[in-house]
Amino acid sequence: MSPKKKTTQKKKAAKVLTVKGLDKHGQRISSQKFEEIVQAAARKSKKLILENYGQHNVGGRLMPQGGPYHLTIKGPVGQRLGCMGQPGTTIICEGAASDDVGYLNIGADITVLGDATNGVCNAMAQGRVMIKGSIGARGLTMTKWNPDYEKPELWVLGSVGDTFAEFNCGGIGIICGVEAKNPNNILGYRPCVGTVGGSIYYRGKTDDTYSRTNVKEVEPDDEQWQWLMDRMPDYLEKIGRPELLKTLSKRKEWKILVAISPQERALIFSGPMPMSEFRYKVWDKAFGGDPLRDLAPGLDRSPIGLIETEDLRRRQPYWANHEKAAPCTFYCPVHIPTIDRLRLIRDGKLEEAYELVLQHTPLPGSVCGHICPNLCMEGCSRQTVDKSIDVAMMGRAIKDSPPPEPAKKLNKKVAIIGGGPAGMNAAWQLAIAGIEAHIFERDHILGGKLAQVIPWDRLPKAIWDSEIDRFLSMENIHVNFGVGMTKSKFKELQKKFDYVIVAVGTHEPRRLPFPGKERVIAALDFLKSAKSDNPMKVGKQVVIIGAGNVGCDVAYDAYQMGAEEVTLVDIQKPLAFGKEKQTAEALGATFRWPVITKEVTREGLVTTDGDLIPAQTVIISIGDIPALKFLPDTVECLTVGGAAWIKTDATGQTSEANVFAVGDVERPGLATNALGSGKKSADFIISQAQGKEWVPFDKKLIDLKTLTTTHYLPEIECGANVEGEAYRCLSCGKCRDCHLCETMCPTNAISRREVPTDVGYEYISDPEKCIACGFCKDTCPCGIWVMQPF
Amino acid sequence: MVSIRSIPSTPSSVTHLDLQWVIKHREDRCTLCGQCTSVCPKEAIYLTYRRQRMPKLDILKKKRGSEYRTFTGIRQRTEPANRCIGCGMCATVCPNEAIGPVPNPNDPRVRLLQNDKGEAWKRGGRRNVRGSLLDRIVFNRISMLTDPALDAGRHEFQLNTLLGRVLSPEEYLRRKANGGWIPPVREIFPFIIGSMSFGALSPNAWLGLLQGVAYCNEVLGIPVVMATGEGGCPPWVLRSPYLKYIILQIASGYFGWDEIIRAIPDMQCDPAAIEIKYGQGAKPGDGGLLMWFKVSKLIARLRGVPEGVDLPSPPVHQTLYSIEESVMKMIQSLSMAWGFRVPVYPKISGSTSAKSVLNNLVRNPYASALMIDGVDGGTGAAYNVSMDATGHPIASNLRECYLDLVAQGKQNEIPIFAAGGVGKNGNVTQNGLALIMLGASGVHIGKYMMQSATGCLGSEQNRCNVCNIGICPKGITSQNPKLYRRLDPDQVAERVADTFMAIRTEMKKVLAPLGRSQSLPIGMSDAIGIDDADAAERLQIKYIC
Repeated sequence: MSPKKKTTQKKKAAKVLTVKGLDKHGQRISSQKFEEIVQAAARKSKKLILENYGQHNVGGRLMPQGGPYHLTIKGPVGQRLGCMGQPGTTIICEGAASDDVGYLNIGADITVLGDATNGVCNAMAQGRVMIKGSIGARGLTMTKWNPDYEKPELWVLGSVGDTFAEFNCGGIGIICGVEAKNPNNILGYRPCVGTVGGSIYYRGKTDDTYSRTNVKEVEPDDEQWQWLMDRMPDYLEKIGRPELLKTLSKRKEWKILVAISPQERALIFSGPMPMSEFRYKVWDKAFGGDPLRDLAPGLDRSPIGLIETEDLRRRQPYWANHEKAAPCTFYCPVHIPTIDRLRLIRDGKLEEAYELVLQHTPLPGSVCGHICPNLCMEGCSRQTVDKSIDVAMMGRAIKDSPPPEPAKKLNKKVAIIGGGPAGMNAAWQLAIAGIEAHIFERDHILGGKLAQVIPWDRLPKAIWDSEIDRFLSMENIHVNFGVGMTKSKFKELQKKFDYVIVAVGTHEPRRLPFPGKERVIAALDFLKSAKSDNPMKVGKQVVIIGAGNVGCDVAYDAYQMGAEEVTLVDIQKPLAFGKEKQTAEALGATFRWPVITKEVTREGLVTTDGDLIPAQTVIISIGDIPALKFLPDTVECLTVGGAAWIKTDATGQTSEANVFAVGDVERPGLATNALGSGKKSADFIISQAQGKEWVPFDKKLIDLKTLTTTHYLPEIECGANVEGEAYRCLSCGKCRDCHLCETMCPTNAISRREVPTDVGYEYISDPEKCIACGFCKDTCPCGIWVMQPF
Repeated sequence: MVSIRSIPSTPSSVTHLDLQWVIKHREDRCTLCGQCTSVCPKEAIYLTYRRQRMPKLDILKKKRGSEYRTFTGIRQRTEPANRCIGCGMCATVCPNEAIGPVPNPNDPRVRLLQNDKGEAWKRGGRRNVRGSLLDRIVFNRISMLTDPALDAGRHEFQLNTLLGRVLSPEEYLRRKANGGWIPPVREIFPFIIGSMSFGALSPNAWLGLLQGVAYCNEVLGIPVVMATGEGGCPPWVLRSPYLKYIILQIASGYFGWDEIIRAIPDMQCDPAAIEIKYGQGAKPGDGGLLMWFKVSKLIARLRGVPEGVDLPSPPVHQTLYSIEESVMKMIQSLSMAWGFRVPVYPKISGSTSAKSVLNNLVRNPYASALMIDGVDGGTGAAYNVSMDATGHPIASNLRECYLDLVAQGKQNEIPIFAAGGVGKNGNVTQNGLALIMLGASGVHIGKYMMQSATGCLGSEQNRCNVCNIGICPKGITSQNPKLYRRLDPDQVAERVADTFMAIRTEMKKVLAPLGRSQSLPIGMSDAIGIDDADAAERLQIKYIC
């Protein structure tokens, strides 16, 4: 600072200048003009008296380097007294002040010796405002605190209006509550909304509406109290009320609202009361217990997780071993349990395996092994991997096995009329069960049409003979050949035997009434003759009416017997299929259809179209029907397709309680159907004889989708030998004891244990560990595990 | 007979690419822990073993052939009955982020096959239409210097609305002087939890909502009320102090009303209001059906019906034949039940005939309000075609009705409540306030509450939507305790409180710039605009661009 300036300052300090708010005419000068005059005066003196007349923004903009300034304000003050006040400026307002005292103040020390209206200290950053009275609304709002400077202060002797200290950021308010405008609420309504800093010292009553999310109320600590007491005398001095020091020095009467930190606020914001507390203290109390206790006593609604065990699972695994039928067993009319046979073979029990089959049929080599189309294998699940099990090969393997050991004799006798497959299996089953079976056969050989009409080419004689020998070697079986049946003979049998089983098959050929029908040979007679020692002669050209599989057999035999040209005709697309059809075609037989026979002449067959199919021999092969003249009237028949068939129930029982009908006589079918039919009625009779309830085969077919076949790899060689087939079997519906479920279970819930059942073991799932993922079900190769909803 | 080796193709054969949700499974991350298949509500996924052929193609070696490899993983079923619903519970439980559903961008053919046995496709949930007109309405009358500038954080706002018949000043004074009947009016929060029955909702969901409502009222001071939907109210709730936060519903099935009537003498307080349901926005003209498997012992007892039977609520009330009769009979009977101290109002589905109903109510001294439910509303169960293609959007329907009241000078006398798609894309406050400024006195929110407060997984992308079959994986709409115990009522209540606190804040954020703090801006249509000239014209609001 230059010496010259120092002199000026001294000079300035000495003289008090007065600035008047009214001009010489007594008119109010504008705020702008007033400011110019004040600024000019301030250049001359540091002590100014400003005789205000409502001019605004007075007392600011006095640069500190020119100061310190001391301004005394008289008269009616305008708004924003001390606006943008500078450090080094002291303003003493001798009366009340208007709005926004100390607006944007950055350091001026402002004393108002009266009340001030709204907006005191708005946006003040530094400095001090001291009010001798009370203030209006929105005091100390939007204050700042620049850490390089002191915090701004607002001292109020009385009370403050509503919405005090909103967005207060650094301001310190001291509200003394002395001679307050509103003694019942010295902080006004809702102070400190948005406060983030600073603190409010206060003394007196409030309405307790301060913003709970912004400030909290505390008792002054020593440091805060010291701060207040250090400054209080100066404030009281400034406002001319030093006598109040004692009154205002009672620490107990003071409280402070201090800003809450964002961290504290985050904790508060989750709600004033934790929900668990609300539930316990309010909710439950209002109901006096669970609100559903009357509707559902004891209902457990307590929370559980997503993955649960025991009764909280929605499904549970069940080891449904042996509960569904494998396709082989299901589709076989005899229900031969092929998967059990293969399991026994896998276990090295070959003999037991064969005996198991023989307990179902006496003719596994002839029927399963040769003439049966093997319905059992049509649905074989192994086809989804490579090929079905070769059950014919396995049937042939049994041709020489000994018959099963029969059970203890039951002292019952059954007459069986007819020694075809149905009658034979009925006899076989009864014999095994210890019941005497007496077969009455019209012919001199057993086997019915199997022996009489199937060409030896399709059913090798060696196999047939050995199986017939095995049949005849069975205890309890007695065969009477050459017995023609009559009504009286039948009656006699009914009397002598406990049961009579009619198994006479169909041995009366169907014929058609066209002219020349007497020239036509029945297929049944032809085939029987072909297989006899004295076969009949055939012409070079042969026509066969009816192009089914029997027709094909006829064609085969005709070629064997010297025919050169065989034509099969039919009124519809030929029904022949499989080996029979292939054989006939391979020999050169031709099929013609639709052909309707008009007549048969010496030249051959004349069609309704007038064509002649030349033939020296014409054979009709349109099926056979039962010959039932011997039956008493009490056995009811059913007329279907112009022929009578014996009416039976599900067990083969006829309208006579002790008369059964099995095989073609009941319903025409394959040899295997006849075997099944014979076994079924025999089983029923055995149950009756043993005094047990008859249990039909009623297992449901397993759904192949439940098997997991990917565990198996396709084999290049299929059907090579019995053991190979045993390994290829997928064991549908019957546990193969592979332990895969035990291995896959993610919670180790599954274990295997021995139990005294037929199977000898079981797999169980521990409910305490099982989470009902269904992996056991999805893994099981045999489709045993099922997931039951519960 | 088709060979079992062959792969059959049927008209309803689908591949995983025909399903709406495709399960993405990563074998490299899967631990085969079984949790995904355990939790899946549809048994849509299963453990599978796949075979891979690895031919040995070395041309110079004599021995050739194939080797096979089997690998293990999780796959989805393609049967429509087990189709993945996209709920994503598998992803919730997977410890390794190895599995989860992704929406199939292709045309999901399975939609065409969901009419097995001639039963047309039914589902719960929503319309699955993502767009929302309400989302496009913006608040564009911002007061800065022209009106008192308000501060959402600082100022206090009167956010509540009135439910009940407000008499004109003259009429009020006249009746006051004569000691006449003054219709009941409730001051409530304008976002009301819409009708969801105890039955459609699980006990834990329903009681959790009510607990949250009680908390909002008693702890937060937000006067939220909830509508029960048809199906009654547990007797202890009827006799509790919380009944005052409940709008009881009577609908065409009349379920649960014997318990309600029985409880009247014991009630500590009156219910908030009675809602007479004539229609529902999601399936107008179609009734409700609580399927037998949802009629647990508890529900049967509550509704006064046998256990395990189907409970139909027919589309129409059996003994009502005209508006006049309905209004006269039902509103009067139900008003009388509580001595004319409880507001009674009908709920109808959005319809071009809504104005006729409204005008009838205007003439009825006991009618307290009209509630209109628009086409975007949700439901526990409906035929697809009802949900997707039947109904009327709420905005224009409400607006017409409101302007009709304005023309009669009755807009301050009978409040209209609106619903149907409020918050469908999450903008609950915006949607609600848009409707309020179009003339609604308040809005009902159902789906939004389910999503926000109970954790419903449903979305407008047809996610989950199985509320109708009792397998709700979150336990919200199931009566199976194994499922609903997954839901902790305390947590539901907490979310209710969170939701309404947030709505309250957002309301202030909208109302402050509009300069409104003293009353709800019902019908303040000069404050809103839309960037669609046709919609603007129809709604008689500003077109903005």
